[in-house]
Amino acid sequence: MTCEEFERVLPELGSGHSMEQEEHLKTCSTCSDLVADLNAISRQSRLLQGSEEPSPWVWNSIEVALRQEGLIREPQQGQGQSFIHPPRLSWKLRWLVPAAAALLVAFGVLMHQRGTGRAQLADQQSRPVGVVTADLQHSNPADVMGGDDLQLLETVASRTPSMRAAYEANLRAVNAYIRDAEQSANSDPNDEVAQQYLRNAYEQKAMVYEMALDRSLP
Amino acid sequence: MTDAKKQQDKKLSEAEAIERAKQGDAAAFEALYNLHKRRVYSLCLRMTANTAAAEDLTQEAFLQLFRKIGTFRGESAFSTWLHRMAVNVVLMQLRKKGLPIVPLEENIETEEESPRKEPGADDPRLAGSIDRMQLQRSIAALPPGYRMIFLLHDVEGYEHNEIAEIVGCSIGNSKSQLHKARMKLREILKTSRAEKATKP
Repeated sequence: MTCEEFERVLPELGSGHSMEQEEHLKTCSTCSDLVADLNAISRQSRLLQGSEEPSPWVWNSIEVALRQEGLIREPQQGQGQSFIHPPRLSWKLRWLVPAAAALLVAFGVLMHQRGTGRAQLADQQSRPVGVVTADLQHSNPADVMGGDDLQLLETVASRTPSMRAAYEANLRAVNAYIRDAEQSANSDPNDEVAQQYLRNAYEQKAMVYEMALDRSLP
Repeated sequence: MTDAKKQQDKKLSEAEAIERAKQGDAAAFEALYNLHKRRVYSLCLRMTANTAAAEDLTQEAFLQLFRKIGTFRGESAFSTWLHRMAVNVVLMQLRKKGLPIVPLEENIETEEESPRKEPGADDPRLAGSIDRMQLQRSIAALPPGYRMIFLLHDVEGYEHNEIAEIVGCSIGNSKSQLHKARMKLREILKTSRAEKATKP
């Protein structure tokens, strides 16, 4: 067998070679180097499988779209909770609370900037606060804010007093979310999903801080 | 638990998740997403070399899948079905951007097919000297058509008959494209190594 003949059949070859091909590889360093290189490329490439992870926003966007399109349906009364990851579902939904609240705060800020009037602004602001505080009334009383949070609220209040209540409600909600995520992650440190939700929770809090500080800048 | 049992459990839970997703169960959609997100995202990322674009494509692929999940009858593996959608979404995007895609059914005679024109043919073997970053960069430099087949076969581990189904080409064409992709990669890797060696 010549090199040309060997290379002609090479694309068709799997992991094994015929006797004739084996004999050629033993005597031809060019072809045996080629086969070794192609095998090395193939082996190394397999290690790249699934090595990248999308950000949590991808699932959040998918979930929002599925709900908007009616593909996700809430379970009817009498039906049990979902079968997959049942402990996560209840606290997972809390993720939506600060996210929705933060969006509403952002909307409130936008309305304020556009000068739509105090009455209208108060109306916009009262909605997220109402939503969030309703949730907080049922939350753990130990849900307290740290020194940094209080300092942030003071900063917000000094610049835009009307936004303080909304930010306070958001911080409380996101703190509750972090606490739940921490509990879940601590109970099973190997649970990658729980760890991911914990990271989401911290990112969410960072977003509230970023929005508040950005708003408070002179 | 044996690997076979684990695999069986995974299959069962996936099958159950599919049925639940058909009923609109949010957690079932999420479970299916979590099972396959890394592979789909990695494929999209390597095809686009852009994280934002890869996330958009991943989202689009899963949304298309979930919208059609009611029609999934299990004739093919769920992952194959999903990958077919991801591949279609990616190819559509590449076409929209006007990026060149090597026609899958076209047998292009390229220089790497010629055994006497291999750059660095006198160099020692690549084996043992391919690092991950170098390999990723070299894969990114492949023409999209070659890259897709290479990713599906050598990275994702699909067989040629599955790739033919996913991409919509013949098995022979998949083999041929894969070989060309590997040869091209070898050339890129050797050139890259030679350039590195000549740098002071």
